[in-house]
Amino acid sequence: MEEQLEPNEMIIHLGPQHPMQPGPFRLNLRLKGETVVDADIELGFIHKGIEKILENKTYLQGITIVDRICYLVALVNEECFVGCTEKLLGIEPPERSQYIRVILDELTRIQSHLLGMGEFGEFIGFVSMFMYTIREREEVLSLIDMITGARVTHSYLKFGGVRDDLPDGFKEKAIPVLNNLKKSVGDFEEMFHTDRIFRERTVGVGVLTADVAKNLGVSGPVLRATGVPFDIRKNEPYLIYKDLDFRVCTETAGDCFARVQVRLNEIRESIYILEQCLDQLPSGPLFPENTYYGRRTPVMRVPAGEVFHRVEDPRGEMGMYMISDGSDKPYRVKIRGPHYPTLQALPPLIIGTTVADVAAISGSMDGCTSEADR
Amino acid sequence: MAIVIPESIIPLIPWIRGIIGLLLIGIIFIGAMGAVWLERKLSADIQTRMGPCRVGKYGLLQLVADAIKLFTKEDLKPLNADSLLFNNANIFMLGSVFLMLVALPVGAVFINGVEYPLAVTQMDISVLYIEAVSALSIFGIFMVAYGSNNKYSLLGAFRNFARMVGYEVPLGITVISVAAMTGSLNIVDISSAQGLHWNIFLQPIGCFVFFVSLMADMGRLPFDQNESEEELIAGWITEYCGMRFGLGFFAEYIHMILGSFLVALLFLGGWNLPGFIANNSVLGLIAPTGFLLIKATFVLLVIIGLRWAVPRFRIDQVVDLSWKKLLPLALLNLVWAVGLGLYLGA
Amino acid sequence: MDVTEILKSLTDTFPEVISEATAESEIRTRAYVDRKKAKEVCQYLKDSLQFDHLCSVCGVDYIKRNEFEVVYHIASYDHPVVLALKAKLPRENPQIESIVSVYWNANWYERETYELFGIIFKNHPNLKPLILPEDMLGEWPLRKDYKGFPNKTARNLV
Repeated sequence: MEEQLEPNEMIIHLGPQHPMQPGPFRLNLRLKGETVVDADIELGFIHKGIEKILENKTYLQGITIVDRICYLVALVNEECFVGCTEKLLGIEPPERSQYIRVILDELTRIQSHLLGMGEFGEFIGFVSMFMYTIREREEVLSLIDMITGARVTHSYLKFGGVRDDLPDGFKEKAIPVLNNLKKSVGDFEEMFHTDRIFRERTVGVGVLTADVAKNLGVSGPVLRATGVPFDIRKNEPYLIYKDLDFRVCTETAGDCFARVQVRLNEIRESIYILEQCLDQLPSGPLFPENTYYGRRTPVMRVPAGEVFHRVEDPRGEMGMYMISDGSDKPYRVKIRGPHYPTLQALPPLIIGTTVADVAAISGSMDGCTSEADR
Repeated sequence: MAIVIPESIIPLIPWIRGIIGLLLIGIIFIGAMGAVWLERKLSADIQTRMGPCRVGKYGLLQLVADAIKLFTKEDLKPLNADSLLFNNANIFMLGSVFLMLVALPVGAVFINGVEYPLAVTQMDISVLYIEAVSALSIFGIFMVAYGSNNKYSLLGAFRNFARMVGYEVPLGITVISVAAMTGSLNIVDISSAQGLHWNIFLQPIGCFVFFVSLMADMGRLPFDQNESEEELIAGWITEYCGMRFGLGFFAEYIHMILGSFLVALLFLGGWNLPGFIANNSVLGLIAPTGFLLIKATFVLLVIIGLRWAVPRFRIDQVVDLSWKKLLPLALLNLVWAVGLGLYLGA
Repeated sequence: MDVTEILKSLTDTFPEVISEATAESEIRTRAYVDRKKAKEVCQYLKDSLQFDHLCSVCGVDYIKRNEFEVVYHIASYDHPVVLALKAKLPRENPQIESIVSVYWNANWYERETYELFGIIFKNHPNLKPLILPEDMLGEWPLRKDYKGFPNKTARNLV
């Protein structure tokens, strides 16, 4: 990267602090005029050492820590960790808890996609788009706040169930919000399809084909935009996803426009899943019967073993590999974040494009550097 | 001029002109503050939020507070910046808009049925002069971008040149086509000759090309690649602090106000009013200027609103638009205008 | 493809390399692999058994057994089986062949394992620290005998 620079080349750092990034990482670009000739990524500016911390905290303390892997989609991170531990313990949460978990997962997916689309609009200069999606996101965050008590980093899940039941009248408050969201998503889609400048900036930019995407190891909306129908909720269903009716949204073009379209469709599918869940919500206990798992689980020793559990994060496939040695703290937790391979695939994609396209491509990946660094 | 000037004040005329010039600079700065306030409130409306609402009623004093803040900031300069270019770029940026102000009429008064346009000077080639002088600001922008010793500003400077070179040509051609149809380069004549048939109806393509080229000339979204905030931090003005930044910022808004006046004068009929209003003694003093201000404000609102409604072009799409799409349209409009002028003249 | 078919095919092709191949459930299986042949097993998995998605590469420090383990989780885009391949390495000089030529996205996973544990991946194109700063190279923070971690846990309350 730092070899002999030719006369009209220069190295520019889209450095750790930049208005364009979803988190601090350094992107070294070698430019010839406005075209990118070489690119390199340096990570580690937000490394918190979560894997080492988890080895020294009990499992219950670990739930709060795992929240912070990506603070925007905290509930899905908790789902992965709690799912791993429940498999090691050999318990399964009752139906009502599973439905509540799915409701929260889908609400998290909606708000993450809204933020991703808004940020993408802002990166290409469409500031008003950001304001519109953030406004819709506020409604969804109020719903999550109503259930868990916080807008980010919730610490809501427990082993075998959830911490609190849904508040009274939640369904009556949620249905108008979902209907409003359906209308807004229709408005956004019309805005994206009819805006000529938006289409010129995104159609044909950052094209990934299915083979290249599989080879690079990406997952999530980026992969589904190339035509590969890979979704953990359908491949290996967890919780109650096998009982719900939804489809995997794919597009074939593989460019930035297709990724935005996939996210819009996924918001619609999430709204449909939420409506089904709210209709079918059964009554019952929150924790398994005749066990001591409940709201007061002080210390528990997990039987020895190892497990690898995956969930569908809004950004892709999130996995955790947990090894337990029979004590009250995990022996080793390996967190496989969804944005890590996508960020790794960014330099090959942007070579040959202009600086303006770097903003568009990196924005359409909808990243969270916090979970790439852990 | 039918007004008789007493002998005694003839030696004082240069001083009077100087005082009027300073007053005009003050007024135009206040106008720029108003334009910034208008932009902030309109953008807030489009984005369903409130703009400035706490400092003064409806946030009108927000700009005064911002100006005080800018005056009290530390003036930083990068270590290896080129002092000559860095310190003196503001002269070009502000100088170009003030030179434009010299020849642009901001209204007219009708006394006894005779029209006296309110302009600092009356030139025979005023429209050509205004357009030539508005291109001086590119020097200021390039001086600060190149002299900052900053790679982001440098990228902004290169994009700027590509944009300006491309859009000066359609701008000039549309202006010439309007002048050719009217038969004079004096902006007062162009404005007076419109009457009820505004130039926007006679040359719609010309008006559209002029408006788009003007937006590109001023560097407003969707053409603000040189200061694209997301890729290049703040583009060409990254290293400017305090009031240096403030002066560049105001220069852009003054350019916007004068540009909207230009559109109103060249294409929207200027200050022309039906004869019975013009011959009235009281209305003849205030109505033409008021009418021109209303038209200019309308154009200003369109320019401001367009910024927040669309994303930004990429620089190669900008250059493509100017050379491959606007230039042929402008040439077509020139042919049409010359033909129309001959037909109307005959 | 079925889990039992996959394990049978694997053990038939590499009889002395794979040991303790077990199927934990319909979709999870694990096997120990000899560290010198790990790359060939991965190549066979990718070519013949449609395992074309590398989930993660991580290292585990078994200080009581005095060895490291490198665990590869390999999955597929077509069928839901996840295979965990484990390779045991001695603790004094942990080295293993890099699988970047088989799976492109193993690049960053192996860099991270190197800087956290000290496991050297031979023939890796760019084995530099990724997450930790350059001056922390050599401290191998995730090993169990790392002295620099504060140890304030809930042990006193148990």
